[in-house]
Amino acid sequence: MTTAVGRVGDDRLAASPARRLGRLQREGRAAYLFLAPALLFFCVFLILPFVFAIVLAFSDWGGFDLGTLKWAGTANFGDVLSFDGTFVKLILVNTLLFAFGSVFLATFGSVLVAYCIDRLAFQGFWRVLYFLPVVATVVAIGNVWKMMYQPAGLINGVLNKLGVNSIGFLSDASYALPSVTVVQAWASIGGAVLILTAGLKAIPEMYYEAAEVDGANSWHMFWSITLPLLRPALLFVLITQFIGGLQSFALIIVMTGDGGPVNATNVAAFEMYQRAFKYGAWGTASAMAMVLFVIILAITLLQLWVARRRGEETS
Amino acid sequence: MRRHGKFPWFAYLVVILGGVAMVMPFLDMVMSSFKGAGEYGVIPYKLLPESFNLDNYREAFSQLELPRLFRNSVIVTVSVTVSVLITSALAGYALAKLRFRGRAVIFRFILATMMLPPFLLLIPTFLIMLNWPLAGGNDFLGRGGDGGLTTSLLALILPFTVSGFGIFLMRQFMISLPDEMLEAAKIDGANQWQIWRLIVLPQTKPVAITLGLITFIGTWNEYIWTLLISSSDPSLQTLPVGIQLLQSFLDPDRTMPIVMAGLVISTLPVLVVFLVFQKYYVRGVVLSGLK
Repeated sequence: MTTAVGRVGDDRLAASPARRLGRLQREGRAAYLFLAPALLFFCVFLILPFVFAIVLAFSDWGGFDLGTLKWAGTANFGDVLSFDGTFVKLILVNTLLFAFGSVFLATFGSVLVAYCIDRLAFQGFWRVLYFLPVVATVVAIGNVWKMMYQPAGLINGVLNKLGVNSIGFLSDASYALPSVTVVQAWASIGGAVLILTAGLKAIPEMYYEAAEVDGANSWHMFWSITLPLLRPALLFVLITQFIGGLQSFALIIVMTGDGGPVNATNVAAFEMYQRAFKYGAWGTASAMAMVLFVIILAITLLQLWVARRRGEETS
Repeated sequence: MRRHGKFPWFAYLVVILGGVAMVMPFLDMVMSSFKGAGEYGVIPYKLLPESFNLDNYREAFSQLELPRLFRNSVIVTVSVTVSVLITSALAGYALAKLRFRGRAVIFRFILATMMLPPFLLLIPTFLIMLNWPLAGGNDFLGRGGDGGLTTSLLALILPFTVSGFGIFLMRQFMISLPDEMLEAAKIDGANQWQIWRLIVLPQTKPVAITLGLITFIGTWNEYIWTLLISSSDPSLQTLPVGIQLLQSFLDPDRTMPIVMAGLVISTLPVLVVFLVFQKYYVRGVVLSGLK
């Protein structure tokens, strides 16, 4: 009777429904106490601002006095989404190009690098090397690349050595967006490599052995074994980085200051930031945020739907 | 080992070339931080400085008030990290091990919180901080004051004190702790707080290091929110914001090497922490990727 197991058994036998209910209630009270800090936080810093963001998107308000807030209906969305304005035609296009471009480069690069690292010794060392930019602040990344892009910087120095004329990577409007896109890709490649190498490790060795017996070369193995089996990890990387790319603008503030030259690198989240905190147009800015949020939400839900469908396929 | 033997020369070529592209910017950062006046911004470009003099570092200390920036960065980062660890471990335990009405709903809610992108909450959170009741001269309805909470370091800490991702990570880890152990403690008369504090908490060490590291690095490097809050009150600047603002003061050809010196100083602590604990960080990223 002194062992824990025996006492658990006795307790179960002796517990009347009423006593069990009492224990559950106590556990429920404890649970909500444990959850209290988190729930309180989410009320103040998540639900409240989220509701506020929706209200702001439908209102006309400048300044800081809540008393002057006026209902504006969908007027803000009309302004933001009008096809003559810069938001849809220029800024949203920039946003998509920036996100697509950086995801394409980072995914292509990380698949190649992860596939190669998987074949080498010192894999941990290589992964950490590619992961370094993820640890650095965006201020460091942005300024270093700004420096390297300058006429007297490293990249133009190399180009000049090769007999190519200097390029105004950040000053020429046709190069500026591709230039910041490359930096975004460079900074996000390390995280993708980590997830993809984990995905590669999960592919059973015997598939490769069987393919080798059948006389497949590395190229065949990559296309018919590695890539299809890597698809879940690859899809995850693609979608999370695309969502990240759609909302990131810290790099653009650091590298171009104002989204220039002449709006060439202006993206939706940055335009929202400027409208709000430079011009105090809370309504317009919030409508922009809402448009971008709906786009991101649609992509997120698509990802969840694809993941769930795959789950049903395999189970 | 068969996977390794195939075409390693090609793999080495790709990985080394890519590795150079990864390291070059950092190398350029360090080298430029030693370049003196008349050495930086000169064509043709040279990677190596003429001498490794420390003028830019001295300049960074005098122009930047580095001790103040450093202090702010440390206070904010440590507060946020400790708070995220504690609140995640508390909520994660309730969601993993306690039976109560509404558990499934709350867990789904926590997952949903991760879908709200930060930029969406930027404007309303700023306005909430500005109109925080009974702070910065505001009355109990948050009116009338001058800046509300935005004039305090709390403005940089409070909005990050709880993390949905952190709760999720802790819950996933704690769910695998054996029930028998908790049951035995309950039989011995321990209450839920004691079980959490004495039995569960010590076992979460590996996942706590992972979460702590991810939070530490993310907070140390945070830029947009700090830029916004400190734009009206420069005394709240952290390292990244302070260093970035130095740029707008002086001629870029003169300041860039000083900025680089500041960046080397501000990157070093995170780099050291990362390299020491990189095993845990890597695992955290992989865990978050394969949920």
